[in-house]
Amino acid sequence: MKNLLTVLILFIASLNAVAQDILLEAESFDNPGGWVVDPQFVEQMGSPYLNAHGMGKPVKNASTAVEFKKSGTYHIWVRTMNWVPGEWEAPGRFQLKVGETVLDTVLGTRSGWGWQYAGEAKINKKQATHIELQDLTGFNGRCDAIYFSTKKDTPPSSTKKLAAWRQEITAQPNAPEEVKSYDLVVVGGGLAGCAAAIAGAEQGLKVALIHDRPVLGGNASEEIRVHTLGIYGNFERILKKIDTEHYPNGSADAKLDQEKRDKNVKSYDNIDLFLNWRAYDALSEENSVKYVDARQTFTGERKRFTAPYFVDSTGDGWIGFWAGAEFSYGRESVDTYGEHWEEHGELWSPKEADNAVMGSSVLWGSKDTDSPQSFPEVPWAMPVSKDYSEVNGEWQWEFSRNDLSQIDDAEEIRDHMLRAIYGSFSSAKKDEVNENRKLEWVSYLVGKRESRRLVGDHIFTFNNAKEGTEFPDGVVIETRAVDVHYQTVLEDENNPDFISEALFYRGPQYYIPYRSLYSKNIKNLFMAGRNFSCSHAGLGGPRVMLTTGQMGAAVGYAASLCKKYEVMPREIYTGYLQEYLDLIEEQKYEKIPTSKK
Amino acid sequence: MIRIALGFLLFVTHFCDAQFGSPVAFSDSQEKTVLETSPEFFILDWKPNTALHISETPLEIITDSVGAQKVNLFRDNTEAPILYSSNIITPVCADGDCKFMHITLYWTLLGDYAGFDRSVKEPLTKHDHDEFLFSDYWKLHDLLKDDNSILKRRAIDELVTKPKPSKIEGVDALSGATVKEVKESVVSGALYSCYVAWHLVHGKIKEQLKAYTVEQLNEEMLVRMLNSEHTNYQMYALENLDQNQYKVNFSRVSELFKSGIPLVRSFIIKNLANSFSQSPTTMQPFWDALPYIDINTRSLLLQHVDFASDATVTHISTQLSVLTRNQLLKYLEHLGSKKVISTEVLKNLEQFAASNKEKNAYLVTEFLEDNS
Ligand SMILES: Cc1cc2nc3c(=O)[nH]c(=O)nc-3n(C[C@H](O)[C@H](O)[C@H](O)COP(=O)(O)OP(=O)(O)OC[C@H]3O[C@@H](n4cnc5c(N)ncnc54)[C@H](O)[C@@H]3O)c2cc1C
Repeated sequence: MKNLLTVLILFIASLNAVAQDILLEAESFDNPGGWVVDPQFVEQMGSPYLNAHGMGKPVKNASTAVEFKKSGTYHIWVRTMNWVPGEWEAPGRFQLKVGETVLDTVLGTRSGWGWQYAGEAKINKKQATHIELQDLTGFNGRCDAIYFSTKKDTPPSSTKKLAAWRQEITAQPNAPEEVKSYDLVVVGGGLAGCAAAIAGAEQGLKVALIHDRPVLGGNASEEIRVHTLGIYGNFERILKKIDTEHYPNGSADAKLDQEKRDKNVKSYDNIDLFLNWRAYDALSEENSVKYVDARQTFTGERKRFTAPYFVDSTGDGWIGFWAGAEFSYGRESVDTYGEHWEEHGELWSPKEADNAVMGSSVLWGSKDTDSPQSFPEVPWAMPVSKDYSEVNGEWQWEFSRNDLSQIDDAEEIRDHMLRAIYGSFSSAKKDEVNENRKLEWVSYLVGKRESRRLVGDHIFTFNNAKEGTEFPDGVVIETRAVDVHYQTVLEDENNPDFISEALFYRGPQYYIPYRSLYSKNIKNLFMAGRNFSCSHAGLGGPRVMLTTGQMGAAVGYAASLCKKYEVMPREIYTGYLQEYLDLIEEQKYEKIPTSKK
Repeated sequence: MIRIALGFLLFVTHFCDAQFGSPVAFSDSQEKTVLETSPEFFILDWKPNTALHISETPLEIITDSVGAQKVNLFRDNTEAPILYSSNIITPVCADGDCKFMHITLYWTLLGDYAGFDRSVKEPLTKHDHDEFLFSDYWKLHDLLKDDNSILKRRAIDELVTKPKPSKIEGVDALSGATVKEVKESVVSGALYSCYVAWHLVHGKIKEQLKAYTVEQLNEEMLVRMLNSEHTNYQMYALENLDQNQYKVNFSRVSELFKSGIPLVRSFIIKNLANSFSQSPTTMQPFWDALPYIDINTRSLLLQHVDFASDATVTHISTQLSVLTRNQLLKYLEHLGSKKVISTEVLKNLEQFAASNKEKNAYLVTEFLEDNS
């Protein structure tokens, strides 16, 4: 399939006016070898890319075969970046092999995403040309695309110009050609998205679940490895299908629950699961989402999804953002919702609003072995890790800074964490007690806690949690203490900037109203997960994954009633609340199959 | 074992008197009605030649089996309140063994932990009756300084649970955060003493002390706090001084902008946001501090770059290395909005763009391309 698409793109390119030009997307390589496809930052840098995430050991070559329409001498550019420019060799260096020749140029050495000239090669159209990426370091070299041209015109680097250029060169039409229709389209397969899909499907909706990873669960997945906290509330039956045990964050035990979760979601005939599909656009007309467009992260294949109702469970509120939903980011001033907590003052809720949010994490771990293990010097990591020395990470490994957006600057945030990890581990290795220690696993995915929050009819605040406000439509219930994180460097500049601390508030049981789970201004848009309608401090409790899972299940049921009466989410609150609450009550019990009645 | 000990800890609260008889020994500093040197473990600044004398307050701390223990206020020779203190005796039990803990605790005027004096006659002891080493007292001091310690939000039995062992291959040695965090923060073998002491220091009394201070608060006390090296005093003063008092104390405020912790700095700049447009020249010390302050505060400062003097804007062009990517973009955006960019600024930009050591040089190169 991949093969077919790569060729297709090339074929289209060859029909284009500049027939001697070929754009090869790295994520579509036939065989990525040890490189991973990294689609986390497409909105910022333009495309998924291949990332040599070898944790210090060069990864196996990625390879592919390309058929050229014309023989000749081609100039070659690679879209790449040096992710830590400075007074050291770039950490992510690699080389390109074209046919039998390894080009001399060491790639991954330009600062900022853009095209690096790799050299030229003679190409013979008679047989497919073999292309390989040879990683030199194992430290996250990145390759987005390779461009072959008989002319020596460097392609544009700026993201805007590049997008237009890409579209032109691949001769892609604006709209995806394939359109798929559903009752409910759920985007983002974290706990919230999975629960929404299951709840909707159980009520007979035809559901599409679009998720940009190969496995489900978001932060709970084996790729990020956070265990699920919170209570089941009204939705124990569903949430037990997708939750995790309480292992330490970062534990390899996450793999066990992964199998359970994926199997359970796949067992629903009326959920069409689109794994490795990332939504990249949504359009609203008259304040209703009309469609969501998504792209396969490896092949670039595109589809359009239409439905009367959509759930945004992307964490970053992407669907809402594209559709023009009201949203907020950062900390409100203490007066906005009166979220003062004397004991922690400014650290808890500031006098003036700002851009601070809870940060993102990259979890990691090492293990002791029977023999000495080496780890390379990482001079480029030391300015971040300084004299910190550690052999494992936990949730406190977290990074946020006012000038960094957890969405727009997520790649810089991830990279900062990688420097913190590699530097700290390298320092720990200097201690002889760690001689046999091996860096076992470092995630390359950022685990996020807080970014965009879409605005609903009700904004859930810290006070709602503190007072246990009993809403008539309180469909989510939680007892877990509220905790909000801050970077410890705010109190003491000698602390590492990547370590956070939590402030816990133990309050009563609290409730989240249904009105916080649909958009205020986009009529057919639900939201579940950390992008639900809340204030910064309000997110402190409900961001944990069983609570967000409850939100998902709650909107799944609401969507089924919306369909039944052909109404919009708000009308479930204004006109069908009792029926909705009864439906939630009823779902607690496994239905007896008709055959067994 | 641990659970039994905990049961005993609760049990002993009722039978303590019977078991111990009346506690007689008092902390050595009990008789101290004048403080001429700082407490042995102390976080505030102590000026030489200070002498504080004791006065009474209506406040007290009730400890298990011992009852009410007075909280006193130490004042200086101008009668200004400086420090709260209480001589505490309280039972601590572990593994079926109970002892009295003697300690003199000190709080700031805002009810924060200020320090403690140990009792030479009745030193603190650990699990196995070993006496605290001097380093153990230091560790206790460190623990008490942390008002957000894990001891706050966990019952004592939760502090000693071990994580479940890993079921499958993979990452090992990921000890539960709790156990590791606790180990790092308490005196080894003295979890119970640490737990009791922390809850005494950070218990209800905190709020009562602060409320008592607030009743007597006046401008002089606020200014004293502003001039203190203690962050919570600085912050409290900054939050409570009115506009006029800000003006009068501006030199100290701008000094704090440079020397304070990031939280204090960002509070100041947010609080004075309007002054950048209203009285740009007064804010010059803020611009002078640009290279010395933390990144978050620098971002807040750069939000006001449109109100900076030409000289300052030029000066920033010599400091581009300290700016993060987004800060540099903000600065370039400001330059881009100007009709003309001075030759001096241009020269500095070109120099920066030409450097192959600067991570963000490419941004300046692009800017120069777009604006040439
Ligand atoms: C290190 C760490 C420790 C934490 N500790 C805990 C803990 O112990 N217990 C707990 O319960 N919670 C914990 N949390 C918080 C919790 O994990 C998050 O708040 C929660 O996962 C948010 O849930 P979500 O479903 O909204 O988002 P996510 O879990 O992030 O799921 C959203 C998913 O959507 C996908 N997606 C995003 N955009 C698109 C798109 N355009 N197209 C397709 N798919 C998309 C993403 O890949 C992601 O997998 C922790 C978080 C971190 C980072």
